[in-house]
Amino acid sequence: MRRIAIYGKGGIGKSTTSANISAALAEEGLKVMQIGCDPKSDSTRMLLNGKRIPTVLETMRGGSDVTLDDIVHEGYGGVLCVECGGPSPGTGCAGRGIIAAFETLERLGATDAYRPDVIIYDVLGDVVCGGFAMPIRNGYASDVFVVSSGEMMSLYAASNIASAVSNFSSSGYARLCGLIQNSRGIDSEDTLVDTACREIGTTVIARISRSQTVQDCEARNMTVIEGEPGSAQAASYRALAKIILSLSKDTEGGMRAIRG
Amino acid sequence: MKVIHPRPNPIVAAMYTLRDLDVDVIVVHGPAGCSFMASRMIEEAGVRVVTSGMKDDDLIFGGSDSLVETLKLVKERFDPKNVAVIGTCASMIIGEDLRAAITRAGIGCNVFPVDCHGCMTNNTDGAIKAIEGACRAGMIDDGEKERQIRLLRSATAAERSTGLTSKQYLTPVRGPTKMNVANTIADAFRSGKRVACAMLAKKELAYRFADMFLALDTARRKLGGELFLAGNLDTELGLPRIRRYARDITGELESKGVSIDAVIGGLDEYAIVGERMKEAIDGFAPDLLILVGMPHMYPGFSEDDILITDQPRQLSNYLSMGCRLAVGEISSHSMVMGTRTIVPMETGDTLREIVGE
Repeated sequence: MRRIAIYGKGGIGKSTTSANISAALAEEGLKVMQIGCDPKSDSTRMLLNGKRIPTVLETMRGGSDVTLDDIVHEGYGGVLCVECGGPSPGTGCAGRGIIAAFETLERLGATDAYRPDVIIYDVLGDVVCGGFAMPIRNGYASDVFVVSSGEMMSLYAASNIASAVSNFSSSGYARLCGLIQNSRGIDSEDTLVDTACREIGTTVIARISRSQTVQDCEARNMTVIEGEPGSAQAASYRALAKIILSLSKDTEGGMRAIRG
Repeated sequence: MKVIHPRPNPIVAAMYTLRDLDVDVIVVHGPAGCSFMASRMIEEAGVRVVTSGMKDDDLIFGGSDSLVETLKLVKERFDPKNVAVIGTCASMIIGEDLRAAITRAGIGCNVFPVDCHGCMTNNTDGAIKAIEGACRAGMIDDGEKERQIRLLRSATAAERSTGLTSKQYLTPVRGPTKMNVANTIADAFRSGKRVACAMLAKKELAYRFADMFLALDTARRKLGGELFLAGNLDTELGLPRIRRYARDITGELESKGVSIDAVIGGLDEYAIVGERMKEAIDGFAPDLLILVGMPHMYPGFSEDDILITDQPRQLSNYLSMGCRLAVGEISSHSMVMGTRTIVPMETGDTLREIVGE
């Protein structure tokens, strides 16, 4: 099983990238589970044609009995969509929510029930506290990819994420596998990203160009893979999906990898 | 220095301070078990303690609904005048807005928040938060607030220099029996020596430590010698509850024919009365000095003095300093909670037995 976490600054295109990767992998015949780790719970929306699914946290709230059928919903190409969910802005603790949602998925035996080939964790913004680091520790994700444009704040967030990952690397948890450049079309963007990657100590594994196709497909509540399968943009997501597959480790285990 | 033994908790310190302020109800906004043991003790003193009983759901989605519901139940059940809502680690880490929940509950009595949690550096920081909250809520004036804060800071400083936080680790001990200490006192009286006892008691613990005055007075009358008593029993200082303790104790001592030679400071001033007490004691020039309550708050206490504490770790601290006449009146705190009369000490009873009383 591949265990992949996608991090990046808010609004940088993590969910779009994650959903297109999931869709592209599903096209290849792989069983993919995408787990949205963001209280906004919009990670899997494009895979579900805009449909909102009940989140893990709202379903378990008040101690109700949760079943996998309540929280795992099939989307485009059979991608298994899960949204952790979380509190309304300004209340509670979203980080604690991520931890509780993962515990619930584990308790319900989500991986045994669906046997996914790939799990993709799409994680909110920066690694702001322990809860948001959950996917990269305790063996949930093995490989971390960071989405960034050439904008300074986005690269700054990428650097923070990289340092969070390296804090855990000594314990044998997730490793940083590279940066996905989601271009904004700013001047010398490739150079800016390359320079930042050298400083962080990672490499750019793919550059996704800015394209109106993405917005057009999102307006139709679809991934590019589904909405414009013949487009150049779809081709670049497919290429990215292949790279991610080749860079990630295939490990045994349930929700958590069994490390050798 | 990193201190690794467990020590008093800011949340509990805030609760005891609220008890001193005669708050009717304390609402602990946190998990049901948070400060459970301390809550039971404080209930013995007549204060209602309730919990909002936060659960995992409250951590994730916010616990203000639980708090609002708890406040409404408090109003219904107890119809209180003054209510304090105190924070805990759980509620404060997730940034709960206590004041907003209090406003939303709108139970129509004096309800005020105390923004404390367990990870504040000193336990007295929690007490200070309670004092500040009470002052904003109009329960005490600025003068009393400043006085209390000064006393609490002095207590923290004294603990750091000679008390519980002066060592990296203290093993709690029960210490020796009281026989040796009681014999030492009896021998001093028998040989006509001058014996002085200074009580530096922390608030309600005076109900126990004042028994030393009674026992010493009995022993002196039976055996001879001279006795000088000093205590922080001023009935005109401190919060109303604290003054009441001082009145109870001095009243009982008087009724039993025991008078205190030097009343120095109030029962909340244990951390600042040391110098003045020493001055009074030095004037008497005793052959034997007995320090009860918080002996380490008495400047220059020595290995020859008798030191009596209620704290197993403090006792360990004294013994480690070579104070061979240190003994512990362990579990005193639970004995004095809710009492209005002096509670016999083991040291006192041992001395009484020796002199045949």
